[in-house]
Amino acid sequence: MLGIKKSPWIIHYDASSCNGCDIEVLACLTPGFDVERLGVINTGDPKHADIFLVTGAVNPQSNTVIRNIYRQMPEPKVVVAVGTCACSGGIFRECYNISGGVDSTIPVDVYIAGCAARPEAIIDGVVQALGVLDQKWKDMQEFAADIDKVVYGKATKSNLPSILALEKIAYYRESELYGGGGDAGLPVETQTLVSLEADFDRMTCVKASINGKIVGSARGYVEAETAHILNISVHPYCQGEGIGQRLIEDLQKALLASTAKRFEIRLGHKSTQGAWLEKQTYRSIKTEVVTPTLSWVFYQKECVPPVH
Amino acid sequence: MSINSWISLILYVLAAPFIGGALTGFDRWLSARMQARRGPSILQSFYDVRKLWQKQNLVVRSSQNFYVVFFLIFVIFTGGLFFAGVDLLMVVFALTLAAIFFVLAAYKTSSPYSFVGAERELMQMMAYEPMVLLTAIGMYMVTKSFQVDAIARHSGLLVLVLPGVFLGFLFTLVIKFRKSPFDLSASHHAHQELVRGMTTEFSGRTLALIEIAHWYETVFLLGWVYLFFASLPWLGVLAALAVFLLMILVDNAFARLKWHALKSAWVVAAVLGFGNILILSAFKA
Repeated sequence: MLGIKKSPWIIHYDASSCNGCDIEVLACLTPGFDVERLGVINTGDPKHADIFLVTGAVNPQSNTVIRNIYRQMPEPKVVVAVGTCACSGGIFRECYNISGGVDSTIPVDVYIAGCAARPEAIIDGVVQALGVLDQKWKDMQEFAADIDKVVYGKATKSNLPSILALEKIAYYRESELYGGGGDAGLPVETQTLVSLEADFDRMTCVKASINGKIVGSARGYVEAETAHILNISVHPYCQGEGIGQRLIEDLQKALLASTAKRFEIRLGHKSTQGAWLEKQTYRSIKTEVVTPTLSWVFYQKECVPPVH
Repeated sequence: MSINSWISLILYVLAAPFIGGALTGFDRWLSARMQARRGPSILQSFYDVRKLWQKQNLVVRSSQNFYVVFFLIFVIFTGGLFFAGVDLLMVVFALTLAAIFFVLAAYKTSSPYSFVGAERELMQMMAYEPMVLLTAIGMYMVTKSFQVDAIARHSGLLVLVLPGVFLGFLFTLVIKFRKSPFDLSASHHAHQELVRGMTTEFSGRTLALIEIAHWYETVFLLGWVYLFFASLPWLGVLAALAVFLLMILVDNAFARLKWHALKSAWVVAAVLGFGNILILSAFKA
């Protein structure tokens, strides 16, 4: 919608930048470039912002701030990594305290290269971010309008990139409970496409999609007599609509065909999803400490063989 | 109420957001020009509100929206009373009530930034309130009526007999428009210590409602400026626009002040407002 593209409000955060990119960001506001002619306001308030400009690589201190700001921004929102450090970690990539670029902690939509990124490049990046913002807004509208037209089915290997992205967005808040970002959060945050593809052959994977866009997924595999169910993910725009419920039922049905006698799901110990699982007649059986900040709580339920 | 008051009331309710929005856009455009920038389109504030309307509304406490809705309703009510031509004192009280709802909304969000903003807004209300009341009293002294339509029908130019009150009223307008040097409570620009003051915790539609309320407020306040020149309508409209330009100039020419707002506003009220009325009553007696 035109309205969103015409009034991008920006919040700018310096993660651990040398100030080079920050000066260029501010240079965009000066008479020479004047991004306000595009409707841009440099607001200091995440709740008013649409576009999140981050400069510099991510270290443990800035990680929490980045996630905090990102969480406070209302949807639809776009993240722009400004400068080489923010894109990949730059020359600081190998430092002991740097976890990498901004995408090591939050999903990034637009990358602006350069050391320092030039104001022209930043403006260009912001204009591209507007396209992403517009697309996200359209997705929100589309998902809301077509929430009753969800198509369920089995996922193929070609779906994996979108499923990877979906799992990361869907588990963002859950991961936040443990600190989030890098090694502090749930393992879903650090998984890669390579690991997902390597795992795919032993997995049964179901998906939910709206107009061809994947908005929900769940994976499971059978080991001995236990069917493990992993990462039931629903896109934040479509949560609370029963998609997760349907996915777990479909996955259980698909896994029943094998030798499984019971289903098992694990949750982080701080998760609030326990009550939901208990509604699906799962019972918690044990807790296992993984790291000082994270323990898994395992939930199980017996398989009921299909009635013939 | 006469048929004319109904017409101006309906005109106000329908047209004020468009006029106010255009004025706010003009403000941003002119400010940019004053800073040697190109600046946004005049329609920018409409784009902003349209965008905010489509954004997710993050709410800290659901009652904060209730207060914001009442802020908007009472701002419209204030302007409505004014343009319907009823009692000016009633208008002043309704204006205060609207502002109080805004302050309550800011308090309700429990954020340190909106707390700071709300407290500063209360201080500012204390600062401008005496002068606003003196303005109403000054107009009564001259026209012998608190009714807005009676004041508007007065044959002489009010500004000629009430120059001090008019200047004092301009002073309160800077506070009321939240322009520098008095943009303490909810600055339009990102300031480190304040973030966005009272509006910090509002987003999406609630923020859009606040913006719309400000548009209504702008038109109402400029309407009051017009009242000083009401016997010559064209001069009144010109004066209201000139005052708006002056506000923009002042906004761009001054840095923010700290607590001088309160003291200086009272000094202005005492010297210009009260002094003017004192001289007036001396002459009348």
